[in-house]
Amino acid sequence: MSISSSLQGRPRGTSEKLSRLNWAIITLLCALAVTGVIMHFSVAEGSWAGRPLSHGGRFAVVLAIVIGVALLDARIWMAAAYPVYFGALALLVGVELFGETRMGATRWLSLGPVSLQPSEIMKIGIVLALARYYHNIDPRNAGSLLWSIPPLLMIAAPVALVMHQPDLGTSMLIAAAGVGIMFLAGLRWRYIVPAGIAAVGGAIAAYFFVLQQYQRDRINTFLNPEADPLGTGYHVAQSKIAIGSAGLFGKGYLQGTQSQGDFLPEKHTDFIFTMIGEEFGLIGAVAVLGLYFALFILTMAVSARARTMFGRLAAAGIALTLALYVFINTSMVIGLVPVVGIPLPLISFGGTAMLTLMTGYAIVLSIDLHRDQSSTRGFLW
Amino acid sequence: MTTAKRDLHSVFNRRALLISGGGTVAMGAIVSRLAYLQAENLVTDTYTEEARDNRFDQRIIAPPRGILYDRFGEKLAVTSPDYRVFIIPEQVGVKNLEPTIRRVAEILGLGEDVIQRRLRDARAAKRSDIVIIRAGLRWDEFSAVNVRLPELPGVRADASSIRRYPYDIAFAHPIGYVQKPNQREIDAVIAEGDERRAVYLKNPDVRVGKAGLEAYLEKQIHGEAGWRMVEVNAAGRVIDEVGGETREPVPGPGVVLSIDAECQRGAMERMAGMSASCVVIDVVTGDLVVMASSPGFNPNEFVNGISPARFKELNEDQYKPLFHKSVTGAYKPGSTFKICTGIAAVTGGLPENFRVNCPGYYTFGGRAFHCWRRGGHGTVGFHDALKQSCNVFFYQAGLHAGQQRIADTARMLGLGQKYDIGVPSMVPGIVPDEAWWKSKRGAEPFPPGMILNTAIGQGDLLTTPLQLAVMMARVANGGKEVMPRLVREGPGVAPLKEARQLPLSQDGIRRVLDGIFGVASEPGGTAYRSMGNLELWYDPATNKVVDAATAPPGYKQVQVGGKTGTAQVRVITAAERGSGVKGNQNLPWKLRDHSLFVCHGPVHNPRYACAIVVEHGGTLEQYLGGGSAAAAPIARDVMRLVLLRDPSAMPAAKIAELEPHLRGPAKGRA
Repeated sequence: MSISSSLQGRPRGTSEKLSRLNWAIITLLCALAVTGVIMHFSVAEGSWAGRPLSHGGRFAVVLAIVIGVALLDARIWMAAAYPVYFGALALLVGVELFGETRMGATRWLSLGPVSLQPSEIMKIGIVLALARYYHNIDPRNAGSLLWSIPPLLMIAAPVALVMHQPDLGTSMLIAAAGVGIMFLAGLRWRYIVPAGIAAVGGAIAAYFFVLQQYQRDRINTFLNPEADPLGTGYHVAQSKIAIGSAGLFGKGYLQGTQSQGDFLPEKHTDFIFTMIGEEFGLIGAVAVLGLYFALFILTMAVSARARTMFGRLAAAGIALTLALYVFINTSMVIGLVPVVGIPLPLISFGGTAMLTLMTGYAIVLSIDLHRDQSSTRGFLW
Repeated sequence: MTTAKRDLHSVFNRRALLISGGGTVAMGAIVSRLAYLQAENLVTDTYTEEARDNRFDQRIIAPPRGILYDRFGEKLAVTSPDYRVFIIPEQVGVKNLEPTIRRVAEILGLGEDVIQRRLRDARAAKRSDIVIIRAGLRWDEFSAVNVRLPELPGVRADASSIRRYPYDIAFAHPIGYVQKPNQREIDAVIAEGDERRAVYLKNPDVRVGKAGLEAYLEKQIHGEAGWRMVEVNAAGRVIDEVGGETREPVPGPGVVLSIDAECQRGAMERMAGMSASCVVIDVVTGDLVVMASSPGFNPNEFVNGISPARFKELNEDQYKPLFHKSVTGAYKPGSTFKICTGIAAVTGGLPENFRVNCPGYYTFGGRAFHCWRRGGHGTVGFHDALKQSCNVFFYQAGLHAGQQRIADTARMLGLGQKYDIGVPSMVPGIVPDEAWWKSKRGAEPFPPGMILNTAIGQGDLLTTPLQLAVMMARVANGGKEVMPRLVREGPGVAPLKEARQLPLSQDGIRRVLDGIFGVASEPGGTAYRSMGNLELWYDPATNKVVDAATAPPGYKQVQVGGKTGTAQVRVITAAERGSGVKGNQNLPWKLRDHSLFVCHGPVHNPRYACAIVVEHGGTLEQYLGGGSAAAAPIARDVMRLVLLRDPSAMPAAKIAELEPHLRGPAKGRA
């Protein structure tokens, strides 16, 4: 309190701050998490034990921390941006060297009793670091090629490391969020268009020279899912059957024949959207998408309202990350993009993704709460 | 705010708007894709169908096979509950497969060979297939497995239905057995392009007839499979048995056989320990009252798969238990054929008073043809020649008749042909004549001496016990072309037709019956010692047969006519004859002669004909004139049983009464 009161912003009490929190966003986060609990109850075939309770409990704890953290000054996030980014980068190198291999991918790093995925930290790290970078440079230079080299390197380093783990989905997410921030920061169209063309060329080249066979299989299966219905195409084929047979109103809660019959794999994680689609039909699926879309728009609104470049870019970057999560996951389960293993944030079971996104929203809420702070001068340095 | 800054802010705002717009487009893409999937499904139903196919699995319910009844409605082959234990390999997991199977084997006390076979089956099984470890469990075994199921994941025990043969060995040959279709049969069905049937045949509950009537009547009595839609999960495991659509199987229609279970069992018991066959036929209707081959085997052993070791044991047994001797055993008829030769000779004009002198041999074409009695029979006429089975008389009677007339008579009497009685793998036997010789030996000249061997039932002649019984029946009924039948009533069985009168010499039949009466019922007949006293009496008014012990005064003795026969298994050399033919009891079993006997009775009102063949049942006594080798004593006991029970006089069972509930659908299916 002593720090904030010494700054130019109006001094505020905690209760006032609480009341000024963006409760619309918090409500949406809760709605999504409750959707998750409801779906895990169905995955567990109508039992509270295990995932439904653990999902809800975990969210409640994380939400409390998020609200607490959101009350802190937004500028501490700016201060933390580079340490978080480079820390995550160092951990990614650590994974490369000492990482723990699970299910064919080296993503985990054991630090004593805790094992963590540095690539998840990097999802936030990249957003913070790029926002900080563009915040600090002269805005007129943001569009130029020269000044775009450091951000490109900042994106390329973690993307390369994560892709090598190999984790195509997360590296795509990091790259897309990073490039999105560069775009928002004002990168000129004359660079964007050729770069886009180069990216497509690069993707094709990557398919043949960089991607692992299993990743290539996924793409091949995506392009022709019927070719291997019991292999990699099985997930998508089953998912399409479940959603396609659901109808407008679905088969009813706890009544999804495909998901309850175990035809649907990974239904508590990556394929939970299928279950929503099957049990609640088109209406249910669109409603859940609507929640995400509202969250995305509200987050973009936070970005638009923020006065600092850091606040704008960080909030937009997190909105983008959320949108990418949702887009990649949902279009994956309905066969629009290849299966890459991206969970549906706040609904899919799993602490890491929830923690990542909620950290993002701690930042968003904080930025929104402190949107009137237009400068960083006098803060920490 | 500076202008530059405002510009920059407007750049950001424009781009943020663009990003939001992009998000909206992406959202729109996903929503329209979701809607498209629904719309696609609305039009084509693809996903609904796939979801249903996913969710439901059609489980075949094997239909109960038609029940086989004996002529009085006794059940000979039924479908009854079967307790079994099986595993679902997928649920057991590759690693646990062997320990699990071993544990079950331990509970049931199964041997290592069974364990190895089940292990092989389980490893070859497909996703969600079940592998039956043991079927046909007793209740205590079933319970023993059941209580341990919680500690045996992937192991199940249930009640299925299985074909059972309550009479075990007694009907093994005529009825045969069912088994799982083998790969060859399945491949054949696939080759015909009938994939559905191939899938059906692979079902572990499905059995098809492999031998006897079960094989012959397969299509008629199999019944129509039902199915049940069960809800399954992705692993193929049933998660909900009830609620699914079900079509009940249609049981196969029942079949009433002509066999009398009591008589059949009696015959089997009487032949126990022998390699023998017995056929008893109703001379009026052709009903096969007994069709028994010994030793039998237990068809129940085959239903759930017989172990290779046990099969080998049965298959290599020198008494050939798997062999249906009544129809596939072809034997030289020996002297029983003199019945045929006699009729042929009379047809050929053999004078009433034709007599020959038998010195013990007959010289023909510079070669001596022997009589079984070394010293000869002296001068014999037709009656005594049959009664004492004089070869020399029948050599000459045969010459009188001629090869072709003998062959024609033999065929009219039912030899040299197959009968469509419902038993597969029947042999036709051989009735040699000039045409047959030509087909076999081509241009080689027809040997004139062949007729002598034929006349006494040796040489190239081959007959089955069934044919011998038919021959006896057609003689006993006065030359009517009675056809044997094993199935009295069943799908596709035509009603009995009046037997046609054969163009045989009635005088010949009369004289033969007279002669064979002497064989069995006059002192000095070759079978008199066995058949002379059946200890049965009958009421002359009603023809009712009763046991001698309970016969009231005024009843008459039941008499039969018969003919002994011996089929040479080895060639008796001149040197052997010189030193005296070795007694059969001094020969290894395999080299002993077959002993045959045909008979009919009761003489006062012929109703049953019987043929018995005892493989290697010849004895020295037969050569010494006793004639009562192994066959006649069996015939005596079987005939006594049949005559006393008189199955033809009792009302036979009717399908309509046995299975009133089945009549409707059975008709509808036809």
